[in-house]
Amino acid sequence: MEFSELQRPSSTIAQQLVRLRSKSVVSNQNGPQFNWGSPPSEGGEEGDSGPPKDLRERPMTMRLKRAIREVQQMRVPVVTRWQSWKRSKAKSLSRFRTDAGGVMSYVALWRKALHKIGGHFGGGVQSYFMFLRFLVVLNFLSFLLIAGFILIPSIVFRSTSTRNMTVDSTGPEVCKVYDPNLQGLVVFYQYFLDLLSGTGFMEYSYMFYGYYNNTVAESSGFHYNLPLAYLLTSVFYFAFCLICIIARMGSALRVAVATGSGAAGSYSKMVFTGWDYGCQGDRATKLKQKSIHYQLQVDLEEERLQKKALSLTLGQTVGLCSLRIFLMLISLALIGGAFFGIFKATVFSQVQVGAEGILGLFWVYLPSIVITTGNFVVPFMCDQIALFERYSPSTTIIVALFRSVFLRMISLGVLLFTLWSQITCFKDSPKCELCQYNNKEYPCWETRVGQEMYKLALFDFLITIAMLILVEFPRRLFVDHYSCVLTRWVGRQEFLVPPNVLGLVYGQTVVWTGALFCPLLPLINTLKFFILFYCKKVTLFSNCRPAVKTFRSTTSTIFFLVVLLFGWGLALVAMIYSLAQIHPSMSCGPFRSLTMMWSIVPNTFYTLSLTTQDFIFYMGSQAFSIPLFIFSCVVLCYVAALATVYGKSVDLLKAQLKLEGRDKQFLVKQIEELSREMGVPTRDQLDTFDTGAAN
Amino acid sequence: MGTTASQLRKDLLSEYQVVMHVFFRAHKRFSELLSKEDRNVPTPRVPMEKVLSLPELKSNPFRKRICHVFSTSDMKDGSLTFEDFLDLLSAFSDSATLEIKSHYAFRIFDFDDDGTLDGGDLEKLVNCLTGETDDTRLTTEEMRQLISNILEESDIDKDGTVNLSEFQHVISRSPDFVRSVQI
Repeated sequence: MEFSELQRPSSTIAQQLVRLRSKSVVSNQNGPQFNWGSPPSEGGEEGDSGPPKDLRERPMTMRLKRAIREVQQMRVPVVTRWQSWKRSKAKSLSRFRTDAGGVMSYVALWRKALHKIGGHFGGGVQSYFMFLRFLVVLNFLSFLLIAGFILIPSIVFRSTSTRNMTVDSTGPEVCKVYDPNLQGLVVFYQYFLDLLSGTGFMEYSYMFYGYYNNTVAESSGFHYNLPLAYLLTSVFYFAFCLICIIARMGSALRVAVATGSGAAGSYSKMVFTGWDYGCQGDRATKLKQKSIHYQLQVDLEEERLQKKALSLTLGQTVGLCSLRIFLMLISLALIGGAFFGIFKATVFSQVQVGAEGILGLFWVYLPSIVITTGNFVVPFMCDQIALFERYSPSTTIIVALFRSVFLRMISLGVLLFTLWSQITCFKDSPKCELCQYNNKEYPCWETRVGQEMYKLALFDFLITIAMLILVEFPRRLFVDHYSCVLTRWVGRQEFLVPPNVLGLVYGQTVVWTGALFCPLLPLINTLKFFILFYCKKVTLFSNCRPAVKTFRSTTSTIFFLVVLLFGWGLALVAMIYSLAQIHPSMSCGPFRSLTMMWSIVPNTFYTLSLTTQDFIFYMGSQAFSIPLFIFSCVVLCYVAALATVYGKSVDLLKAQLKLEGRDKQFLVKQIEELSREMGVPTRDQLDTFDTGAAN
Repeated sequence: MGTTASQLRKDLLSEYQVVMHVFFRAHKRFSELLSKEDRNVPTPRVPMEKVLSLPELKSNPFRKRICHVFSTSDMKDGSLTFEDFLDLLSAFSDSATLEIKSHYAFRIFDFDDDGTLDGGDLEKLVNCLTGETDDTRLTTEEMRQLISNILEESDIDKDGTVNLSEFQHVISRSPDFVRSVQI
């Protein structure tokens, strides 16, 4: 506002002051600033088509947008033919992209079901089901990979078995004895038992490693080395899964890193972004309100507790710390006890091979039973211990989760370790002297390992279904139809996301470990997770009440994928050990003629032409790899520097916001002073003027 | 449906397609809300009670504020024309940007329409979030603690109120916001 304007009559000044006051309060914050002079071709700030995207981004009413578009269309932009062609192509490309996106989301698996789940139970539960869907798709794609490179060539070569060559293994004859017990007529229930334990008719089939031959098919220019394909497909399967997980984690991590830690600003975030407008129905709304209420109360209480904890005396702090350490040791002891139990059960089960009937089935399933029992009992007891540790609620959840992850993954690792030590006989050397593996008990040890993994996967699935039918449905019926103190205390089942996710990760880790030995395991897992989706959905809607304490969805996705990576790492270790350390069985499988599974790769490598060999040697040599390493270090440093710069610019902008607020207040004060000096009515006097006029 | 469709001229149609995302379904829903005699009026206006009967808005605690924010009526009665209705659907669609959603969310939360969120606005907002009945409200002590925490976290220029830029700053750190503001 210039001084010359102050020369005008006072009423105009008064009007302008009123406008200034309302403007300073409303317009800069509510009215988006649109540059009416901008030509329509300037919409390329995001590299997309011009006016439509620009206008759509603006929070203005329809009338305004239409007016702007009329103004823009009146200005005829002077552009070359090349530019107009480019712009029209860009417009049609973006339209095609939106249409394709629409079609893809329509075709996406379970889209409506996920939407319904999210609306009724919130983002945390929905993220569990989205994780499940991701695993189904991952397993299915892996199965296609394996079927294409291993299964179908194997079937083809088996049916045209004339022109292929199989290399016979060298070694003692006794190692090559493998009789997979193909009986003609068996008792009818034997089929059922065989289905559950992977023996009998299932053992010598495409299901397990032992059935595949080490055929190298040669016919008129077509050369297919089945053992090499088997190995490389397994390795590539692991790499493929890793890439999928990292790609999925990438977008979530990017958002999490950009927004910084969730701790700061949590109250404002909860209040401003807490409401889910997709909630429909009175029941869902009331539940959401209750959960927000609970969340706010818990956080406020946690803050009060923290303030109190800071004021603890030294003696009390020391006492609390020692209590926590003691309880942590107890929980570790519990977990160690579970591991010991699994070890003993596995050894015992391997000894008992050959028992018949239901008892035989029980011995065969003993390791799975012990693992599952441990996975139920130990976390429950750790939860009871956690009540005494007196951590804050959020820390308690994280500690409990990490304990469960540790328990599950390491129990699987103990099982694998036990199996491996049995096969390669760490303790009894005489058994393994002849064939470098325990050929008496394991004539085809890879099939046995595959069977163990198959049993684990199947048992996990059966237990989940049994829990559903025998525990959750009856609980709901009991709670709904009888009302006594017990039912009110127990209440309906709450769908707890972390234990369910750990179950999924455990199942997937079992599949990864077993895929080398049981190529059809990804297919079985696809079917298992597919059925599990529907079962869990049914139990969610019929038996569960929504969790009062909700799980934040983006950080939980990252957590699920990190835990999945743990499982992947464990399976990778198992696979590397099997490939590189243990002598493959001489009686079965595609690697029967080799001393190590991995040696097929160097063997084939040396049959390549010399130039290819030299090229690959060069890629592995220092002259190539060291510059590559230095280059990737440089890229890493650049990206890290970029991230720090962005963080600093966020701080600078925040400081600028502060300064702008102060500038505004300073200017308004100046105007008031000047207007007082000039004898013009001030803001307060205008207020009374307004109310007086209204009256 | 035939009479209302013919009311839209071809040039208006192409303009709507340029600026809005979901058009035809929206028009069908809007004309379902109109009463018989309003259908032949050139720019029909749906009263607020009819809009609040939509299933998506019926139990939303902010439904009245949403109607007031998107309404362009001079009488401030929350009634919506078809254009206002389109604005509403567009702002709550899944392709609207963070800027649009945060702008409208700010206006919805601004109960006294003064352009900033002060203590009174925040208290009303928290009461809407937790439920209006006595047993679902926070106690006075908790409310005071909560409001002082919110202002401490988000009021950057320390003027005792949260303005649009500060609000958008808080929103930008929450990745779930875009997905949650969807009908």
